[in-house]
Amino acid sequence: MEGQSYGYNIPVSERTKEVPWEEKVRIYEEVKSDFRFKEFLFGCLNCGACTASCPSNRFFDYSPREIVQRFMEEDIEVIYDMMHEYIWACSQCFTCWIRCPFVNNPGGLVIIMREVAVRNAFEATKDLLKPYGRVLLKVMTSGNQLSADMLQPDFFPDWGPKMLDNMQNLRAKRMAIPFDVGKSVKTAWEVSLETAMEMYTIWREAGIFEMLEKIDPNLYNVIMDIVEENEERWEELMEEED
Amino acid sequence: MGHAKSPYLKYADPIPFPVINRHSHYDHLFEEMYELEEKGEILVYRITEENKPVEVLTRTGRIKTIPTTKIWHHKSCGQCGNIPGYPASVFWFMNKFGYDYMNEPHQTSCTAWNYHGSGTSNPVALAAVWLRNMHQAWKTGYYPLIHCGTSFGSYKETREQLIFNRELREAVKPILKKLGRLTEDGRIVIPQEIVHYSEWVHANRYKIKELYEKEGKAKGIDVSNVRVAIHGACHVWKMMADDYPYDPEVYGGQRPAASTAVMKAIGAQVVDYSTWYDCCGFGFRHILTEREFTRSFAIQRKLKVIAEEIKADVIITHDTGCTTTFEKNQWIGKAHGMYHPVAVMSDVMFSALACGAHPFKVVQLYWNCSNYEPLLEKMGIKNWKELKKEWEETVKHISELEKQGKYEELMEFFKKYDLYEPYSKTSDGFRRKRSATADMPLFRS
Repeated sequence: MEGQSYGYNIPVSERTKEVPWEEKVRIYEEVKSDFRFKEFLFGCLNCGACTASCPSNRFFDYSPREIVQRFMEEDIEVIYDMMHEYIWACSQCFTCWIRCPFVNNPGGLVIIMREVAVRNAFEATKDLLKPYGRVLLKVMTSGNQLSADMLQPDFFPDWGPKMLDNMQNLRAKRMAIPFDVGKSVKTAWEVSLETAMEMYTIWREAGIFEMLEKIDPNLYNVIMDIVEENEERWEELMEEED
Repeated sequence: MGHAKSPYLKYADPIPFPVINRHSHYDHLFEEMYELEEKGEILVYRITEENKPVEVLTRTGRIKTIPTTKIWHHKSCGQCGNIPGYPASVFWFMNKFGYDYMNEPHQTSCTAWNYHGSGTSNPVALAAVWLRNMHQAWKTGYYPLIHCGTSFGSYKETREQLIFNRELREAVKPILKKLGRLTEDGRIVIPQEIVHYSEWVHANRYKIKELYEKEGKAKGIDVSNVRVAIHGACHVWKMMADDYPYDPEVYGGQRPAASTAVMKAIGAQVVDYSTWYDCCGFGFRHILTEREFTRSFAIQRKLKVIAEEIKADVIITHDTGCTTTFEKNQWIGKAHGMYHPVAVMSDVMFSALACGAHPFKVVQLYWNCSNYEPLLEKMGIKNWKELKKEWEETVKHISELEKQGKYEELMEFFKKYDLYEPYSKTSDGFRRKRSATADMPLFRS
């Protein structure tokens, strides 16, 4: 019902209250129309098995049971509000899924909600994902999500003093691995140019670059520079081979 | 009592297995998959005798076929980028067993870590990435072995979505067509089984045992007094939970069998603890941007419990996120009087150590932030200090030659260096020239 929340313990933020009701319905429908939705939500006894085993529940104000209950009750106001920060507490471990007697998948509902939040470029989502930019840059351009040189000690002081030693002579350490694996410092492994071309096509065709442009235009520009540079290199290579 | 459908899987006593429960609806997927093949929509990439398959049981009692050789290595960002000894140990065993494999650059990661962390993708892109990679493996004739736990879970989930949803198939097919990643008659290529490396280790556990008996013990290594805590990775056994090995001889078939079974096979002491089912706290986004959560969960729910309840010598994992989380979040516990030092490594790394692999050159333990030294002592690897020195001198030598620009000398050094597999077999000869990361590889042809 418009303007009314059935949330048991989730106060709806002023930000959400100010959003027109039609917009909140639109977002709710976008989540519900995802083809996975019907496979992730069946019924709920409110038993709380999901929340009892949820790692995020132990340290955040987050409950997978609440996610399921809000959808069961079609609590559009609270669902909209949850999509800004609440859902980002989920660890995506899917313990809730394996525990649920109804085989609900609250973690799956969260991933649909996250995807819709990104697609609609919610402000809170933009802020939350800013520190994640390095991973996005890496995965969008190279197809790898992590590389040895990303784990700089300055960024991970809590990992202890051995991190400093680890980063010494990193290139040489990687060269000394006696297998052709992990030898790259800037990517997890070497990715062939034709593979990268295929991946860029996937990003374009599936609307991923578009998503990225909305959520972080600066990062998008940096990524597109690298993508275009690689595409030019590929074209040159093809011309050379012809 | 044997398994009704297999002449090979035999067990002595009747036991309450398989686990038939509310989740046991998943195996139906395979029937649907073959129906789609009959209708000409997909091509199922089959495991053949060439792959020397081994049968294992899944949670529902389904027989899963695990290829052991002629393997297409589908690598893991977390392993190659962060725990180099992890894939190196897999390759070490592959070489030891004389298995044939392909290790090539024509692959991206599954990109699912990013998806679970940031939501910046969608099922169509995930399916296209998966199917592109699988098509590449099919093209080479080598069968894909998935190194990463998240790739394994994500691919299983994507497979289910793809098989049961025409709309997803219709969305992804034009993209694959554009990439030239359909069969000649326009079908999508789907592998018969999605196989995780831990399943490969599980299928090879008796060969690993033989190697341990023959080579590990000959070096004075003994793991019989090593106390092992098993941590299963969520995306490996909780995502699409039915499709992972369970075995009547491992906790009566009530818990995942892989990793535990290989530890038992080589005779280590697998010790149970109360929070075995909990995740590690990795959280995808959390390990990078909500680290107070990750470390709090790892310390309080796992490291502390393992230390207080069972005093394990090592936590055995089978995915990179868990390994990193447990391994890197110990030192910080000192700040709160919650320092519970314990070695952490994957099943294949521990197995390689047990079988006599070099702790630094192969298992790459120098990369660990946690204390692995007491474990090496307990395993009987008494010369680890000399081995570490040998490794450090090698690294120093390589580094100096490179700094001085002595590339010819460097290449000469590598010719004499004990390279197990200097240049891998790939499906074409162009890899160095056609690199998307041309400035990045360390070896140049």
